[in-house]
Amino acid sequence: MSYMIGVDVGGTFTDFSIFDTRQGKLSHFKHSSTPEDPSKAIVSGVLHVLTEHCIKPEEVSYLAHGTTVATNALIEKKGAKTGLITTKGFKDLMEIGWQKRPSLYDLLKERPESLIPPGLKCEVNERVLYDGTIDTAMDEDGVREAARYLKEQGVQAIAVCTLFSFINPVHEMRIKEIIQEEYPDVYITISSELVPEFREYSRMSTTVLNVYLGPVMEKYVNRFEKSIIDAGITVAPYVTQSNGSVISIAETVDCPIKTAVSGPSAGVIGASYIANQCNIEKIITFDMGGTSIDVSLIENGKTQLSNERLIEGYPARIPMIDIVTVGAGGGSIGRIDEGGALKVGPQSAGATPGPACYMRGGTIPTVTDANIVLGKLNQRRILGGRMEVDLELAQKALTEHICSKSTLSLMEAAAGVISVVNSNMIRAIRMVSVERGYDPREFTLMAFGGAGPLHACEVAQEMGIKNVLIPPSPGTLCSLGLLMADTKFDISRSNVMIAEKNNIQAVQKIFNQMIEEGKAMLDKEKVDEKDRSFHCVIECRYERQNYEIPIEVDMTMTEDVMKEMIEKFHKEHFKSYGDYNENMRIQMVNYRVSAVGTIEKPDLSEKNVNPDAKVPNVIEVRNVLFEGQKNYLTTNVYQRTDIEPGCRIEGPAIVEQMDSTTIIPPKWVAYTDGFNNIRAAFQGGEKHE
Amino acid sequence: MNRKVDAVTVEIVGNLLLSIAEEIGIAIIKSAYSTNIKERRDISTAVFDPEGNMVAQAEHVPMHLGSLLSIIKEVYKKYPVEQIKPGDMFIGNDPYNGGGTHLPDITVVAPVFAEKKLVGWVANLAHHSDVGGKVPGSTSGDAVSIYQEGIKIPISRVCQNDRVNEEVLDFIMANSRIPKERYGDLNAQIASNRVGMRRLLEAYEVYGDLLLDSMYELQDYAERRLRAGIAKLKDGDYEFVDFMDDAGAASPDPIKICVKISIKGDSMDLDFAGTHEQVEGPINVTYNGLLATVFYALKSLIDPGVPSNAGIYRAFNIIAEPGLIINAQNPAPVGARIDTCMRVADVIFGAMAPAVPERAIAGCNSSCTTAVFSGTNPKDKEHFFVYLETIAGGAGATKHGDGLNGVQVHMTNTSNLPIEALEMEFPLVLVRQYSLIPNSGGAGEYRGGQGICREFEARFDNINFTGLGDRQLFPPWGLNGGENGSGGAYYLKRTDGTIERLPSKCSEVVINSGDTITIKTPGAGGYGKVRNRKAEAVLTDVIENKVSVEKALELYGVKIEKVGNEYRIAG
Repeated sequence: MSYMIGVDVGGTFTDFSIFDTRQGKLSHFKHSSTPEDPSKAIVSGVLHVLTEHCIKPEEVSYLAHGTTVATNALIEKKGAKTGLITTKGFKDLMEIGWQKRPSLYDLLKERPESLIPPGLKCEVNERVLYDGTIDTAMDEDGVREAARYLKEQGVQAIAVCTLFSFINPVHEMRIKEIIQEEYPDVYITISSELVPEFREYSRMSTTVLNVYLGPVMEKYVNRFEKSIIDAGITVAPYVTQSNGSVISIAETVDCPIKTAVSGPSAGVIGASYIANQCNIEKIITFDMGGTSIDVSLIENGKTQLSNERLIEGYPARIPMIDIVTVGAGGGSIGRIDEGGALKVGPQSAGATPGPACYMRGGTIPTVTDANIVLGKLNQRRILGGRMEVDLELAQKALTEHICSKSTLSLMEAAAGVISVVNSNMIRAIRMVSVERGYDPREFTLMAFGGAGPLHACEVAQEMGIKNVLIPPSPGTLCSLGLLMADTKFDISRSNVMIAEKNNIQAVQKIFNQMIEEGKAMLDKEKVDEKDRSFHCVIECRYERQNYEIPIEVDMTMTEDVMKEMIEKFHKEHFKSYGDYNENMRIQMVNYRVSAVGTIEKPDLSEKNVNPDAKVPNVIEVRNVLFEGQKNYLTTNVYQRTDIEPGCRIEGPAIVEQMDSTTIIPPKWVAYTDGFNNIRAAFQGGEKHE
Repeated sequence: MNRKVDAVTVEIVGNLLLSIAEEIGIAIIKSAYSTNIKERRDISTAVFDPEGNMVAQAEHVPMHLGSLLSIIKEVYKKYPVEQIKPGDMFIGNDPYNGGGTHLPDITVVAPVFAEKKLVGWVANLAHHSDVGGKVPGSTSGDAVSIYQEGIKIPISRVCQNDRVNEEVLDFIMANSRIPKERYGDLNAQIASNRVGMRRLLEAYEVYGDLLLDSMYELQDYAERRLRAGIAKLKDGDYEFVDFMDDAGAASPDPIKICVKISIKGDSMDLDFAGTHEQVEGPINVTYNGLLATVFYALKSLIDPGVPSNAGIYRAFNIIAEPGLIINAQNPAPVGARIDTCMRVADVIFGAMAPAVPERAIAGCNSSCTTAVFSGTNPKDKEHFFVYLETIAGGAGATKHGDGLNGVQVHMTNTSNLPIEALEMEFPLVLVRQYSLIPNSGGAGEYRGGQGICREFEARFDNINFTGLGDRQLFPPWGLNGGENGSGGAYYLKRTDGTIERLPSKCSEVVINSGDTITIKTPGAGGYGKVRNRKAEAVLTDVIENKVSVEKALELYGVKIEKVGNEYRIAG
């Protein structure tokens, strides 16, 4: 008998998904979060689950959670006291960065706060050239002096980043040795080990972010491991990484930065699993909560990855799921600006005071207020009846802040707030699809998060997307996703070479090294030989371009493999940028290997679909104003738990459940499949009529 | 408000048009060939109404704000509307004829037709790294006429029936030192317009003529927003004067830039009478460049959120006689116009400081300090390299805090080329230093931002260096009692140890292996009286080597001592 547990830590609630492997049964549980120490809620929640389900601690065969420790330490600036050692002449690089100002027109905007306290940036005399040759030998005494100085200053962590270390790390490695001799207790990361890729500011910044988080993560991991052992759980816990995989918690101590933007990735893993279950190849995820929406694209079960992103204003060069976040959520605020246009977000009413209708003192209209006025949300109680709302307060907020400052009626104002927030979300969807060379109309929109199912069909219709999928429990898809993850290590190198025969051996050598490294990591994770796989990618560009396109290649580089890679590159270039040129030489720039260890997953079986399933009883009849309609329509409201697989509900209709509300607009039909997903399909012809 | 277009539509269509402009930009950045476009994003893209008024613009560099403003109107002058057909595209770069603000900025525009109805235009502008002229990179510090600054492309039909007219491209390529790169970049510009055309057409299919009504309403909206901001300012006349160092060897005297701003109700006049006449040096500005600068300054000072479209230019009135350096006439050279625009921005900020005290900012480095290195690697003579870099400096302090250090200000915001990318791609130079200069930020209650020191070492013989800068003689001014920041300088150090200070506009300086060019960019002015600066802030500056121990005492009266490795306030 064994149980798998996934835990997703949110700002307000910590969600648990529990899978009983013997009975094949999945259940969910919510617990209040403990922001001061998130592990408290995790441990007490797990204990609660064990008691509730009469599980013995040793029966837990898998425990994974997403940690917000790194994210919070960065937001609250509570990282380690950090020092930096770099090449002479470049200690100000962390401040100069790309020498751009933070806002083009708002000259009062400050740069992000420095992660390194004053006086803790040290320079050493040394210089490596672009081809790896040494121009200036390293001044070892200088390094020793810097190490002693930083020790004396009481730093807890040291980042080391020197120029061209990605091509020849010998100086960085020696600096590390010297620091370890002088100051064995300090947390160190050298850039050539963490991200051996070119572009010095991004590499330095990633290294600094990593050491800034290192000691904090170390402390958390020790504490968490202890409390899990105290609880009697024998399995080593996993943690989510930003690349959409899990890693054993001890590993995060070396690379905490890899967890820093892991928050939304669990939902994407969950979505990917459901897509696979339903044999849907192309999915756009639509995860809308109270303050923002996260959008990403999945094709053939593969999430899109990006290699660099700003975290709290600093670039972090680590592979992560390419998720676009915009400030459009249920709490986003609507207002009329000085020129008379209706704006929605990115400001949010947050949890307190929250939307006006929540009766917590908020008076400013939000997206949720507009949804209540339009009848899309229950006008008396939401969250499955757990929370009372006040329609009149919502009306008042819209009237006072929008109608009085424009020519809009109450109905137009509420509908306008939804149209504008939908248009903001459409921009996010275009960013992950059109801007990356995909046609969104070929995709299914998978909506989750508390507010996703409320907006999904109307957004889809506006974009010409004809299929929407709402998973059975949209509010807990993240904790479910944690049960569905594999473990994965990303390894990279930079070395600019022309894609030609002469370089095949050199490429193979790079890949062999990386695969060895990957094997060592999978050994550490105790992954069986049969569960291992390696995925190799070369990032290529036309000679002298500066944007690379990742091309998957076989792990054995041959003339044919290279030929195939070149063909694929031309094709991808055409797909992304509308042109290609077979006469241009192609450069290989970065090399990546993902070492994947497959983890056993719950098997959620399909239920029998009843071809004669009846539409359930109507729990309420409400007047609802849908997008693009001129008048309120009489609309049936159903309870999600009343709907059995095989049931077809024609729009207009509304389906309510504890953690979400699904809107089925006119001309949409919602079919419930054997996995209890709602599959909504647009039945009309053109999107605008 | 236009009755057909409500508050919701104006927002949604505004977003839509801006996203069209942005998608054109993404397409160019990704597919262009030159570093200047890909890495430094020196481009701008826009959408226009059928009459040729700009309705949305995506730009990464404020200098481009006005650059596209009159391009479509110039097309109409040459090609009456009935001659414009689906599948056409037009190209141009003449700053005196609707092009950008200097010759390297080449614009490509495309009309968008729904069946036979013209529903708008899309356009993009990109800075090309070389368009001929007397020096590599085309912008010469000693040009006395625009004819020395490269090829002038009159408005020409570059595409017809969806086919590229290769003859036009050949003409341009034949006039560039790096023709292959031009070809790649121009094709990227053409292809990316197609992205915009498709999207604008889709938008028209959805909205029909409401799209056109919204385009007109969006211009009214922008005007209303800017006017609403102006109306909040105190009525009155505000004046300011500043100087530029010189206009190069042919015109070595200081150049006066001044403005008188009159605010009355929701309208504003900016009178530049008294400003220097156009000069025989590359720092002249065309009227479009002046418009761009005024808009940038007002947007920053009054309402950073006002959208960039033709409507805003109705909210203010510019008085600048033709023939002034800021309304130059053909054939005045304009290659380095940005430094003058920077100074115009400075005088507007200076004049407006009493009217907008919350957003006022002290004098900034306000120079687009440029270095261009060109030459060949003797081992690989086939490749001719042109490497251009602009180096940031200090930003002025404000009422709210210290100025930013080492940052691009006002009219430019391009990123640097990473040193590792530079040295791999351009084997001409090594970067020996890239750091903030101690004591370069003007003292004050809030310190001005620091300038940057960047040192390049030549790796081969016969490398050509061109420098373009300003604020080397007239330093950035302090505000409300704050002190001035330091000025910039170019130095050449030969291998024999001799050091020469180069003029702020120099070209064709030949350097050889081992010689170094050291570039110091200006800092920025401080804000408020020095005596109000907290001693702890001075101490932190000393620890960070932003201010030396000596200057801490001399400027701030704070005595700091070093005990072991620790600095502390003495006494």
